[in-house]
Amino acid sequence: MAMDELLQEFISETQETLEALAGEVVAWEADPSDRDRLDAIFRFFHTVKGSCGFLNLPRFERLSHAAEDVLADIRAGKRGADPATVSAVLGLMDRIGELTEAVAMGAALPNENDDYLIAALNAPVDQPAPQVQAAPVAVARQAGQAGPRTIRLPLSLIDQLMNGVSDMVLARNELSRKLRERSADPELDNVFERLSTCVADMRDVISKTRMQRVERLFAAIPRMVRDLGRDLGKRIDLTLEGGDVEMDREMVEMVVDPLTHIVRNAIDHGIESPEQRRAVGKPEAGALRVEARQSGNQIVITISDDGAGIDTARLVDKAISAGRLTPEAAARMTEADKLDLIFHAGLSTADQVTSISGRGVGMDVVRANVERIGGVIALDNHPGQGLCITLRVPLTLTIIPGLVVRAGGLHFAIPRAAVVEILHDNNAMLQISCIGGAQIATIRGVRHSMIELEDVLGMDRPAQAGPRAIMVVRSGSGVPYAMGVAAVDNHEELVIRPASPLIMATGVYAGMTLPDNGKPMLLLDAAGIASAAQLPTILDDQAARRTEEQADAQAGVEMVAALRFEEMTGEKRLLKLALIDRVEDIDVGLFGRSGDQAYVRLDGRLIPVVNGLSQFDRAKVSALRLRDGTQEACYPVAAVLDIVQMPLVPDMVAMQGILSGVAVIEGEHLEVINPFALFASLSGYDSVEGQGGRCLLADAEDGWTREILAPLLRQAGHDVVLGLPEDGVIDPRDVLLCHDGEGSKVAGIMAEMTGCRVVQLRASPRAAGPHDASIYRYDQDALMAAITAGQG
Amino acid sequence: MNRLYLFATLAGTRIAVETDEVEAVVKLTEISPVPGMGAHVAGLSALRSRVLTIIDTAALIQGMASPTRDAGLAIIANIAGHSYGLMVDSVSDICRVPEGELPLRGQLDRAWAPYGRAIVEQDGHPWLLVSLASFIDGGGQAQAA
Repeated sequence: MAMDELLQEFISETQETLEALAGEVVAWEADPSDRDRLDAIFRFFHTVKGSCGFLNLPRFERLSHAAEDVLADIRAGKRGADPATVSAVLGLMDRIGELTEAVAMGAALPNENDDYLIAALNAPVDQPAPQVQAAPVAVARQAGQAGPRTIRLPLSLIDQLMNGVSDMVLARNELSRKLRERSADPELDNVFERLSTCVADMRDVISKTRMQRVERLFAAIPRMVRDLGRDLGKRIDLTLEGGDVEMDREMVEMVVDPLTHIVRNAIDHGIESPEQRRAVGKPEAGALRVEARQSGNQIVITISDDGAGIDTARLVDKAISAGRLTPEAAARMTEADKLDLIFHAGLSTADQVTSISGRGVGMDVVRANVERIGGVIALDNHPGQGLCITLRVPLTLTIIPGLVVRAGGLHFAIPRAAVVEILHDNNAMLQISCIGGAQIATIRGVRHSMIELEDVLGMDRPAQAGPRAIMVVRSGSGVPYAMGVAAVDNHEELVIRPASPLIMATGVYAGMTLPDNGKPMLLLDAAGIASAAQLPTILDDQAARRTEEQADAQAGVEMVAALRFEEMTGEKRLLKLALIDRVEDIDVGLFGRSGDQAYVRLDGRLIPVVNGLSQFDRAKVSALRLRDGTQEACYPVAAVLDIVQMPLVPDMVAMQGILSGVAVIEGEHLEVINPFALFASLSGYDSVEGQGGRCLLADAEDGWTREILAPLLRQAGHDVVLGLPEDGVIDPRDVLLCHDGEGSKVAGIMAEMTGCRVVQLRASPRAAGPHDASIYRYDQDALMAAITAGQG
Repeated sequence: MNRLYLFATLAGTRIAVETDEVEAVVKLTEISPVPGMGAHVAGLSALRSRVLTIIDTAALIQGMASPTRDAGLAIIANIAGHSYGLMVDSVSDICRVPEGELPLRGQLDRAWAPYGRAIVEQDGHPWLLVSLASFIDGGGQAQAA
């Protein structure tokens, strides 16, 4: 073996061992009695020392020799593994790593002084000890059986293998086509089938060579956690799980940075100092848990801590003071929206910018990186208790579900994950408007920036017969925008490769793919296109949209069962079914009159007749027996027609006498009986007045209050005062009714001062939230209940 | 120095390329254009199962796209892990040149300056020795313009 190869071998082995070893050293610090680990670390330095002499690497030799001596002493029990020593050993390992890197690249060795490092090994602790002795990081050692036999291969060889197999598959496909063209020969077919199977199997196995254990992702974490914890004086309990989950090699590369940043953030900003933790009753050591698991064709990585969580109020403040958000927009934001702010560049809730996590520009980059590989990031925030961040990334980078779109006569691919929805430009729910060259697509009331893909890429837009396809896609900021293309042709699993840097530099392409037709196709980067088109990022429209959607969804579609009947006078009317006890045919002889009230004798009682009729031109009359809980009434009708569904609130509200309004049922306009007024009109009705409380209607100028509410309350027997009493005297038994707005503020004050009750009315059927105590103004039952609640 | 060189013509000029840099010379079939890029990127082309980025090298020199792109010759090279096809007018020979490369003389045209680095004498003529990687880097600059 030539010297060169030996050196290469040494370098690869050293680098690989160093990676794994950092974690081992930190773990050993937590449990110095672990002989196996100590031995492993000792062996490393011993091996390096041995090889160095042979390969003539004096610096390596010196460094490893020094470390070996220290470790030998520790093994022999002559020395303990205090944090300073462990740090010194780690420092030596770092230096060896640097030197190895330099040799690998053929560069000159860095010129620093190794003596300092070596002296640190043996120095008494005269550096000031850190204020808080950071406890060693306890890492659960994963029970691993001895690994399978492995061999080290240059990556280029693996790539060549993959290319070779792909070529083989293409050749096989072509052979298949040719065979089909010629006459069928069963023997030939059989042999071909065998070949096909072999090729397919091979392809599967080769794909597996791309997989790598997630352990590599975790390798650097224990050391980082230990060092950071010491620097910041925080104690961290780290748990790593799922190291044996496998991920595509390239995916591992792309996840390393986001993961590192998130872990750093957790320690820097998430987990509090021991004093702070003690003060809130948490254990002094913060718990940090990183776990990987496979879920279908995704890898899920969760990073959770029991720190302070994210303070969304401060995020909002920072956004407002940075001019990114108006206070009005902030007030409309949901908790999820506020949490989302952490992904916006330039916002940092860190009090001081620490050199560790940097200026809070991290999370936007983290999300961008995760999304670039087709992944998603989600936050589960518990203020004061901790934060859990979940990364979901596809199992393999190379194959993603995509859509094939056509624009400017060319085909492009776009990851399906980037597309929210697809419409045609002749869709009724879509409106496209143009102002000053900027295009706006309004879809179901929500406004999106819109661009035509051809324009962004500088292509012509040939005329086309059918409608264009408009895709709503996600931009880098998460705000979706509309992209117009000629058509969406297809969806398929695409094998994506990175495009050359020249092409990637444009920012609009995320890679390329080679479909079966042999014509290379570019993968579009939706976020990059938005940047290239310089689309604005708008933060606050989401909340406005949501309230709109909510209102739309719930606006008055509530229906209730009603009886449709024909009055003696011929009109068809509706009455809420719940009020009707039964329908009877009553002998007209049982009707009678007393004074101005009509009665009917039923069940040994005199029951009031509501519409005042007592004379009929027939022997029997159909009547509705009504009951409102306490009162009974009889309503003679000409005919009972049917039972229908009517809106709870009449389509047209017009309170007059016993009518509450008009509803449209199957195109027919029908008057709706107001059961409340109906019962109230009976003179036998027990009104609730007399107990002293008046109804004070604060909004005296409001039409509805005067025309509808006041008569209603009077009819019910209340003493109604429009506006606040002139003499200013308010009895505590009075009830103050008001709508939201200025009146309610005054009302609140009055209530405070006089102790009277306030009934808040609202115009919308739906409460604004669980704590909204207002009453819908057409909800008579609730209204009356609220008024009488305190009286008597 | 007994290096092997590939001799070709590009934008009407005689060029030489060290064969270490050359993977193959192929006849281009179909090129799929990449919109939104300068004229120097002719597009993408499939070579069996690989996708090559095709560089219109003449466009880099002459500042405008070459008239016929398909059915031309291209030198295939792997630069920084990506596969490229650099278009050339024609390819004449591959041979050893005993005296190796000679220093440049005279003033190189500004268009060629980023790419030419030496001269190789062959067949009684000087051939401009270029490095294929320089077309990729230089291409980046042309794009920034």
